[in-house]
Amino acid sequence: MVFSSLLFTFAFLPVTVVLYYSLGKNFKNIVLLTASLFFYAWGEPVYVVLMCSSILMNYCIGRLIGEGDVSRQKKKLYLIISLVLNLGCLAYFKYFGMIISTISSIGGWNLNVSTPALPIGISFYTFQILSYVIDVYREKIKPQKSLILCAVYITMFPQLVAGPIVNYVDIESQLTDRRMTFNKFYSGMQRFLCGLAKKVLLANNIGLLWSEVKAMPSIEISVFMAWAGIIAFTLQIYFDFSGYSDMAIGLGKMFGFRFKENFQYPYISQSITEFWRRWHISLGSWFREYVYIPLDGSRVGKKKMIRNLFIVWFITGLWHGASWNFVLWGLYFGTLLLIEKLFLQKSMTGWPKAVRHVYLLLFVVIGWVFFEFTNLNDVLNFLRLMFGIGGNEFIDNQGIVKLKAYAFLYIVCIIATTPWPKKLVLLFEKTHSSFYRVAVNLYYCGLILMSTAYMVGSTFNPFIYFRF
Amino acid sequence: MRINNKKNCIFIQNMVCMLPFLFILAMFILHLVLPDKTFSIEEGRYLAQWPDFNIENVLNGSYVTRVESYFLDQFPFRNFWVEIYEGFNKIL
Repeated sequence: MVFSSLLFTFAFLPVTVVLYYSLGKNFKNIVLLTASLFFYAWGEPVYVVLMCSSILMNYCIGRLIGEGDVSRQKKKLYLIISLVLNLGCLAYFKYFGMIISTISSIGGWNLNVSTPALPIGISFYTFQILSYVIDVYREKIKPQKSLILCAVYITMFPQLVAGPIVNYVDIESQLTDRRMTFNKFYSGMQRFLCGLAKKVLLANNIGLLWSEVKAMPSIEISVFMAWAGIIAFTLQIYFDFSGYSDMAIGLGKMFGFRFKENFQYPYISQSITEFWRRWHISLGSWFREYVYIPLDGSRVGKKKMIRNLFIVWFITGLWHGASWNFVLWGLYFGTLLLIEKLFLQKSMTGWPKAVRHVYLLLFVVIGWVFFEFTNLNDVLNFLRLMFGIGGNEFIDNQGIVKLKAYAFLYIVCIIATTPWPKKLVLLFEKTHSSFYRVAVNLYYCGLILMSTAYMVGSTFNPFIYFRF
Repeated sequence: MRINNKKNCIFIQNMVCMLPFLFILAMFILHLVLPDKTFSIEEGRYLAQWPDFNIENVLNGSYVTRVESYFLDQFPFRNFWVEIYEGFNKIL
């Protein structure tokens, strides 16, 4: 099920909330687990079995590792078994097709093997499971004794299909003991509505511009149009994904959980390094915690540091999708980060702010070209269009007409990527505190009404992050 | 009496805060209560109906798709929402 569908917002959510709050304390986790399994089974009726068996297996391994006096070697063996099984599962379901097609294209064979369909959310929940097992092995946490709580952690529907990646250590205590207050529910609901509006009102609509540009024959795309299109995609992917994270964090809050932030205004960054501290934070910290640091991070010599950086960014790219363009995209950012780390870091502080910002945006926008086109030829083609190589017009009438139609949305989107609206609201709260409460409530009522109109009016729109 | 007034005041304030959620709940209840329509004159097409349960359809995912289109087609005051949507699109 998608959060931004009518069925989720107007049926699944109210039923779950009413059941959750009307049943006693002992039933809350059971309600959450049942709802989450139903939520997953709704889109993936068969793969729910896969997820359940994966939970059961890792629950057992967690207990084997963490309990009693098991020798160090045995613990290591259990950990390796768990890593092989979890990563093997991910590799089979997500990368099997890619491996086969790569082998066949290198060897020039024609391999016709049927590949399995991708279970939704497998990249996210596999990482959550790994964080649990590895932390038990490191003795950072005690193994979860209750199978139900272990399953609640993995399947909790707010973060099940598209993150943020929640580490077990962060919510261990909340699983058994969490406070549900009126204010928490209220602010969680507001957060959910913000995310919903980001997805339904901003991402979906600015995305239309990009799909129009993408559908045009490449001879007709002017340089101006190419930039307008890819910037629209830049905005779309941000609102899509950060909107989804907002909805997840909000829903979690409505049920009494606290998830960490996943996005912190990435497009206002001043360097690529800062960008990756603000974009998809939970993934970045997962890789730091479970890949980069175990490889000894940057404390080793320069050569090893470079190697580690490339390993991490190779996997980060690959994690985003089973296609080589994602690897290229990861390595592109890895290289940029390395250049910043080795050469630019000191001199950059002297650059004017505007220059740093333009530098960041330029490289991020180019990065999205690698991300969006799965075919390498298409990537090169589009980059050529963007930089006017190939003799297309610089600007044409069609581009101006299109941009005029989207001008308002463009401006709203750009403003919404900055922290300024929030700052203005806080200022307003200070100066007009009595009027503020009414205005805020009216604002959220407006958001839900408009989102509903857009959800009913536009055809069913699936979430683009699903293919990862 | 005074305490009662204060309590009432807080209750009303909380209710106001909850308006979006109450709206969601109300829509859901209306959805259940209002009778399903079979034909839309405005669009000139038959609207999706609640699908019959069939284990094969559940497993291949078509049941889910049909429930979703049922929910979309039978949403309370559907025409009203579509009108608002089109109104916004015209302005912007």
